[in-house]
Amino acid sequence: MTTWPPLLVAVVVVPILGAVLTPVVGQWRARRAADWALGTMLLTSVVALLLVARVADGGPFSYVAGGWEVPYGIELRFDEFSAVTAIICLLGVLAIVFSRRYAEHALPEVRIPYYYALLLLNLAGMLGFSITGDLFNLFVFMEILSLSGYALVAVSGEKIAEMAAFKYLVMGAVSSIAVLFAIGMLYALTGSLNMADVASRLGGAPVAPVAVAFGMMALGFMVKAAIFPLHIWLPDAHAIAPSPVSAILSGLVVKVGIVGMLRLYQIAYTSRALDLEALNTVLMWLGALSIVMGAFFAVFQDDVKMMLAYSTISNIGYIVMGLGLASSAGVIGASVHVFNHAIIKATLFLGAGALIFRTGKRTLTDLAGVGHAMPWTVAAISVGAISIVGIPPTAGFLCKWYIALGAVEAGHPFFAFALVFGALFIFIYYIRMVNAFYFRPPRDPAILEVREAPASMLVPILVLATLCLVMGVLGRIPLSFIEPAVTRLLAPIGGG
Amino acid sequence: MEVIDARAALAPAISLLCAALVFASGERTFWRRLFSLSAALAKLVIVMSMLPGALRGVVYVFDLVQFTEGVGLAFRADALGMFFSLVSSTLWLFTTVYAIGYMEREPNRMRFFGFFALCVSTTVGVAFAENLLTMFLFYETLTICTYPLVIHDETPEAMKAGRKYLAYTLTGGAFVLLGSIATFQLAGTMTLSHPGILTMDAGRGTLIALFICLIAGFGVKAAIMPLHGWLPSAMVAPTPVSALLHAVAVVKVGAFGVLRVVYNVFGVRLLDELGVCDWLAALAAFTIIAASIVAVFQDNLKRRLAFSTISQLSYIVLGASLLTPLAATAAIVHIANQAFAKITMFFVAGSIQRVTGKTTVHELAGIGYRMPYTMGAFTIAALSFIGVPLFAGFVTKWYLSLGALESGAWWYALVMLGSALLNAAYWLPVVYAAFFKTPPSTHVEMQEAHWTMLGPTLVCAAYVILLGATVSVPGMPFALARAAVTFVFGM
Repeated sequence: MTTWPPLLVAVVVVPILGAVLTPVVGQWRARRAADWALGTMLLTSVVALLLVARVADGGPFSYVAGGWEVPYGIELRFDEFSAVTAIICLLGVLAIVFSRRYAEHALPEVRIPYYYALLLLNLAGMLGFSITGDLFNLFVFMEILSLSGYALVAVSGEKIAEMAAFKYLVMGAVSSIAVLFAIGMLYALTGSLNMADVASRLGGAPVAPVAVAFGMMALGFMVKAAIFPLHIWLPDAHAIAPSPVSAILSGLVVKVGIVGMLRLYQIAYTSRALDLEALNTVLMWLGALSIVMGAFFAVFQDDVKMMLAYSTISNIGYIVMGLGLASSAGVIGASVHVFNHAIIKATLFLGAGALIFRTGKRTLTDLAGVGHAMPWTVAAISVGAISIVGIPPTAGFLCKWYIALGAVEAGHPFFAFALVFGALFIFIYYIRMVNAFYFRPPRDPAILEVREAPASMLVPILVLATLCLVMGVLGRIPLSFIEPAVTRLLAPIGGG
Repeated sequence: MEVIDARAALAPAISLLCAALVFASGERTFWRRLFSLSAALAKLVIVMSMLPGALRGVVYVFDLVQFTEGVGLAFRADALGMFFSLVSSTLWLFTTVYAIGYMEREPNRMRFFGFFALCVSTTVGVAFAENLLTMFLFYETLTICTYPLVIHDETPEAMKAGRKYLAYTLTGGAFVLLGSIATFQLAGTMTLSHPGILTMDAGRGTLIALFICLIAGFGVKAAIMPLHGWLPSAMVAPTPVSALLHAVAVVKVGAFGVLRVVYNVFGVRLLDELGVCDWLAALAAFTIIAASIVAVFQDNLKRRLAFSTISQLSYIVLGASLLTPLAATAAIVHIANQAFAKITMFFVAGSIQRVTGKTTVHELAGIGYRMPYTMGAFTIAALSFIGVPLFAGFVTKWYLSLGALESGAWWYALVMLGSALLNAAYWLPVVYAAFFKTPPSTHVEMQEAHWTMLGPTLVCAAYVILLGATVSVPGMPFALARAAVTFVFGM
């Protein structure tokens, strides 16, 4: 039960300690802070990889803090869904590498160490969120990552950034309250905060309070995931934050809501306290609506990052729809899309960041023709675009395939239809983007003179773009990795 | 007999490699030409080397990756696929030579030749796709890769045509994807290696819906009316691209998809029971006649060619939907017959445009004196379309009419006759104008296009006669079509 305990703790403690020490390290020279943050994340990545290797090998395992037995002690539990830690670490490392030049350019120098500290804290919060087996811990980690997230949106100090951060804060606070309220109710019903324990005790509980608790929790997580119509905070926050932060926020932070939903499902399906039919139906519809509405808003944007932000809403729609379908293929597709979308969206946001860094422009109109000046960056963005639309053999395709298959499997062919045609809608604005970069005559000929992005930016972008292709070609690996977890999840309701 | 052989995957891979090399060689003309030509040649050799085996009944298979049970990318060079890939790789070689001449002074040649190679790679991928997923993959990729070719000129008109093209074909792709998913769910497999994988157990309504979904998906590229709107507007592309789009890659992939759906997904027996093919045949017959009538009124040569393409493609669809062995033979061989004749015409249209700058039919008076070889090739293609015996087009018309009689739908034989008349009505005036009308000036000097353009034109015209005259010679592509028909009808 308690083999390898230090690792499971280390994956959270290392980045938190690193975060706390970053301002000290970076006090005299800002570059030091970048090195320090990078070192911290690399160390964390090694730990995360060891953990993922272990879960692939022998299934879920857990560690009980301080030797207090479950359900009294705090349990850290690592299952297949927790493998999202690997992707958190990967994006963390790449975002920090990318930030080296970007932060110097976008932020006042005194803030740079704090920027890295917040970034590490945010990553640590997500890492903790995905490995905890305890409901209250879940809430604490959610707050850590949310609070650091608000600050990161505002970090540039511009007025508009503060506005966006405030909007994000208000919505985020509402969602936190909803989740906290739900956790309180579950505690009142069962007298326990350990997830597995709650699930086993919830069986005979009265239906109405359980329904309220689940409903509140789902609501809270859906705000975090920015599903339509709870998405209003997302576009501004993600578009205005510095690009590496946008990559983290759009690629990872919204996924916290999804991982939270998976945890909720683990409790709900195991306990069988409630038939989730109604919730699932709502999620399917909201998912479909998100896909279409996200695409609809994105089509009218001229700002590249705004477009990408709306595209996140569509993609969260895919995932939520997959979860709501509650069929094996649907949930597998949704879970894998949590990983794949993170990679794809990070490619796009970092790519957009590089364009903004070099040209200082951020609208399609102004960026016309930039593909000739920055061929590698724009090629990477194109790969990301193809991938997010779900053209085979890229990463996005398999998820789309699985979720659509899940829809047919669950007897809802309409949702397969909505998904496939929603993707078509998404295609429209990515075509606009690629068209503008490659085929439109530049508005200002000076754009043809800009240089390719510096290596510290280009390398992360190219690594991610390569992963977009690799995750598609080797799609079998994540799919078969996540399958046992989904089978276990759906077993109590006869699926899987 | 199935043999595991990497050549089935190598054929699409070699063009992919070629595209990568072309992109890597940048604006260095020599290397670009070398890579383009040697890849085209290598690919033809690879496909040819599989021909003797394919004629003996050997099927080359190769599994690339498997995502999960029954979902993966795999290649399978069966008779039908071999036939199609043989046509497309032969034409790729000719089109590459022609394009080198045609694109001599155009900008962005690296992009052009790179995506050109990618298109052919994906076309052969479709031909050798073992399952619907692989087929969808290449079908979609083809759409993406042709887009930069369609908008090559980057004029507002080209951009508009590109948008229209994408809107049509991507919607079609979405239908193919939906259909593939539904097929997988109903049949538990997506393989194209059987003469039909679905059964009546799935329910009549579901099967009809699925059939409509898949045919609509592939029908967009096959330009079945009313899904043909993208094709005439896509004519703004440079001529080698139009040739590629209309004769080799895009439209044929659609027609080939229809054949696969009819013969390998549903199967002849099931479709006979469902009765949906009567509707498809009627639609195809309508397209044949309607598109020909529109073509008569086109003055722009390339637009006339476009509507002729729409009409000719529906021969394939009609042949497939009659569900008899003879009609199926016609459908399959028409892939080659239409391809060679149509590409000849496009080459001619491009040569005329490059040499004289003329693009409309009424300007062509006396052009035959100026470009006799080019217009001679055109005449051969025109006679083939009209269906004169000894020319390739006759073979199609003959077998299609026999097939129509075999299935008891004799009126489709009349459609063939009507189409022949209409073809005569819009191709013969061009020939007449070229050779029998007096040229605008009395002093005419012979001025042919560069040999890189004239050569492929003449070779393709020769093929038209070869295909028409050697039907019963063993070892010719016709034997492959026979083998494919034997397989799908279980004879």
